[in-house]
Amino acid sequence: MTPGTSATSPRWTGPATGADLTLSFWRREPGRARWLAIAAASLAAAGAIWWSATRPEGLVSPLFLPPPLEVWEAFVRLLSRPYLGSTLGQHIAASLRIVIGGWLLAGLVGLPLGIAMGWWKRVRWISFPIFQILRPVPPLAWIPLAILWLGIGDSARIFVVFIAAVVPWVMNSMQAVDSIDGILVRAALTLGASDRQILTRVVCRTALPTLVAGARIALGNAWTTLVAAELLAATAGLGYIALNASRTLEMGILLVAMAIIGVLGALFSIGMHLVTRWVAPWARSGVAT
Amino acid sequence: MLLLLWWLATAIPELVPPRVLPSPFDVVRRFVALAGEPFSGATLLGHAVVSLQRWGIGVLAAMALGLPLGIALAWLPPLRAVVTPGFELMRYIPPFAWVPIAVLWFGATTTTQAAIVFIAAFPACIINTQLAVAQVDPILARAARTLGAGPARTLAKVILPVAAPTIFTGLRIAFSNGWMALVGAELVVGKQGLGFLISQGQINDSAATILVGMTTIGVLGTLIDAVLQRTQRLVLPWRPVAARPTE
Repeated sequence: MTPGTSATSPRWTGPATGADLTLSFWRREPGRARWLAIAAASLAAAGAIWWSATRPEGLVSPLFLPPPLEVWEAFVRLLSRPYLGSTLGQHIAASLRIVIGGWLLAGLVGLPLGIAMGWWKRVRWISFPIFQILRPVPPLAWIPLAILWLGIGDSARIFVVFIAAVVPWVMNSMQAVDSIDGILVRAALTLGASDRQILTRVVCRTALPTLVAGARIALGNAWTTLVAAELLAATAGLGYIALNASRTLEMGILLVAMAIIGVLGALFSIGMHLVTRWVAPWARSGVAT
Repeated sequence: MLLLLWWLATAIPELVPPRVLPSPFDVVRRFVALAGEPFSGATLLGHAVVSLQRWGIGVLAAMALGLPLGIALAWLPPLRAVVTPGFELMRYIPPFAWVPIAVLWFGATTTTQAAIVFIAAFPACIINTQLAVAQVDPILARAARTLGAGPARTLAKVILPVAAPTIFTGLRIAFSNGWMALVGAELVVGKQGLGFLISQGQINDSAATILVGMTTIGVLGTLIDAVLQRTQRLVLPWRPVAARPTE
């Protein structure tokens, strides 16, 4: 055993190191090639089942689940012809505009507020109770109130997205500042840094990974909430398409909308991971809240 | 402090119209009224019970499926390779995106609501269970094996007790996800429930009703979590191994 790798390697995530050949096939971690093969086979099998179950003489009625080809045709049709007043691109743009707008707005408010709450105790005493009250209420429960206050325009949706995103922004920024090692701050003080320098150079920089993690969670929340908000109050957007397609029994369009919602959600998540690696490359992944 | 501000804002006439923000007294009055007489088909208690029922069904289903599957996925790696691609595809679709299709499949019934709760709770359930089991130090499993325990016994007597606290924390996340999703589902479809109550408040232009509903939802959510936390301390008093449950 080389020094540094103790026998009780503390964390074991996922694959065991090296295949333990004394174990049966089912207990062994498959190698990379085998893993990919199994995964591909599984996807192919799922696709084949879908295709065969939805054939005209198949078990599943197309009203329950349409055949893959129909979904594809719906996608192509949506791309070229407007549906419910806008093309697919415009619907996507409408959704994105609101989600990014609400998210940025929440960051604009939440980030400084959270940092201030972590840094100045007085700010925390004043504003923390508000968030303690807001937190247990699901953002979706704000939708009716938002509609009552702001109508069914963009502002109601931005408001709901804002509510959903602002809590992780604030909580993570506060926690990030809170968990800074006091030694760092004292060291900077000893070296003659001013209060402002400490805040900008030491605190904000050390807290960066957690701040970005907060931004990621906020964006995820924002996206989830937007879809719900679009189901209730919208005249364009992916959630709006989905609900309308469900009412008019256009299963193909409904599935296309769901798939795009999923793909965009995945892109957000991947994009934020890349951003984390870019702004704070020293951070280890997985600052979960 | 906040209450005082709220009261002040509404007490000074013409500052904030009651249509936008009713005074605290109005909300309390509305609460008493809703608790006593039925609104939109049920009293406040009735709506809450309906919501809790739907939530219970969905969450129980998610647990019944998610726990064994999560354990199996961590224990049998090849199975993980089978399930991962499909799971990754589905994971990024938010629970509410399933509402329209659930309505088509199940109609405007309790099943639809419960299905949405299930979809919201299931991933947290399965991911955290898998994580919890996978993070148990393999040394323990090997030690048990050396001492002559078979796989089933190792799993039941060694792995699960160690993983249990983390699994439970995952369940708590799943339960609260389910509660949030239920509210969303009830806003869109359904004839009863707390989400329905606040959407009726919006239609009737009654901000007080909405606020009562929102408060009830928040309080119930907090209560559920508090009860679970207490249960965890009672049932699994030992400390979790260092493991972070996710979302």
